[in-house]
Amino acid sequence: MFVKFQLITLPLFASVVLVGSAQDENGTSRVTQTAGGPERIDLSHFPGQMVDKVVVPIPAEIFSVLDKVGEPNWAGGIQMPGDDEKIRDRDILALRFGGLVAEGFIAVQAKSSDDIQKIGRRVLSLAESLGLADAVRPHSQSIIESAGKRDWGKVREELDGTQQTVRSTMEKLRDDELSGLVSLGGWLRGTNVLTEFISEFFSEDKAELLNQPGLVSHFRKMMTELKEPVRDSPRMKSLATGLARLEAVLNQSPTISEESVNQLNLITRDMLEEFYFKKGQEESARAGEDGAKAPARETEN
Amino acid sequence: MTEQTSAALPKSGANAFFVMLLTLLAMGSGLVFAFVNEAISFALEAATPYVEQGFEVREDNWSGEVESGKPLLVRHQLFRGNEYWFWAGTSIPGASVEVTVFDKKGMAVGLETFSKEGKAGVRVLPGKTGTYYIRVIVTRKKTTETANAGGGEEAPSDSLDWGLVYGYR
Repeated sequence: MFVKFQLITLPLFASVVLVGSAQDENGTSRVTQTAGGPERIDLSHFPGQMVDKVVVPIPAEIFSVLDKVGEPNWAGGIQMPGDDEKIRDRDILALRFGGLVAEGFIAVQAKSSDDIQKIGRRVLSLAESLGLADAVRPHSQSIIESAGKRDWGKVREELDGTQQTVRSTMEKLRDDELSGLVSLGGWLRGTNVLTEFISEFFSEDKAELLNQPGLVSHFRKMMTELKEPVRDSPRMKSLATGLARLEAVLNQSPTISEESVNQLNLITRDMLEEFYFKKGQEESARAGEDGAKAPARETEN
Repeated sequence: MTEQTSAALPKSGANAFFVMLLTLLAMGSGLVFAFVNEAISFALEAATPYVEQGFEVREDNWSGEVESGKPLLVRHQLFRGNEYWFWAGTSIPGASVEVTVFDKKGMAVGLETFSKEGKAGVRVLPGKTGTYYIRVIVTRKKTTETANAGGGEEAPSDSLDWGLVYGYR
């Protein structure tokens, strides 16, 4: 009888514990997952509404994982783009803006105040070229001030805020295409530096971070929806081809091999040379005399 | 159907200012803008205690309007190694909101959830890097009047606002 009592009451006690509620600091009731097993839904027959909007993760989200599994040489990953003054095309300015914000996230990981402050100024300069200086100026100032105080969390917040402000302003001005290109520029720069660090000390765990087929698919769709003449410009065609190549590599197998990481690195580099890095510039130019990566350098366009 | 907007994160102790700012923005920008952003401000309010725990809340977010009880599904990329919270909100008095995260096989993966007074949250530690699905359901509670008229079902279908934000650490 005693044994039966234990067998029955222990699971009951367990489920009482599992569904028990608690109050957190703001008085919100918190309930942990029940013991009844997780809910399952049929995603192919979802009885509701799919939300079209895609929120692209910022590089800092991925970098934080990389920091947990290793100690990347973040300072060696910083690579400033060349002069912005010659750029007139708004689509290229938008891509570069996204890339520069991603550069800011790399500089935050490197805790390089000087580079962040340079980026803060460059961000404002690009915003001026895009006609969005008023919206970006407060963010730019805050980036520069926070970098001076070495308040890295605040810098990350402002970088994210800068990009979001620019994208929101573009969308309000019916420039949705440019908004998407800002995201693409940032994602490409972040992915490129990620492939560099993963290929330096390869592991399948790190390579898994590149498993982002949904985002590649989103960007491919976005490129097909660009209006003419932007869609048919050689640079945009090259980016569309690059995205198709990225998707092909990611679809090769369920796990991402070292060779695939190297391919992804080369493809993203080629794509960045369309709007960010100088064409043909060799990665080896960054290596210092002792083989270690040198601090940030500048490129020319 | 969905209208996407964004709002800045309120900091601890600055909620009143944030709500006031939203109200001023609403006055200058039209009712729909205010309607949608109020839901985001509810979601951000739910996020505030977690910011103090080290979660960095993204500026970008999802929001819009939906019929009562109709589930919404958001696709989003998550990375194994990060911890995530998703917070949903609605500004409709008396309406409830729930948020659940599913993996690509449709299995719920939330480790912890809460739902109270127009705010809800779910915590996730992704087992794999990849695409996940976040389901949001906003439900207007039945009233005595509608219960008498319609046999105790929910209020007639109308649009409710919803907002979803997330943070990682």
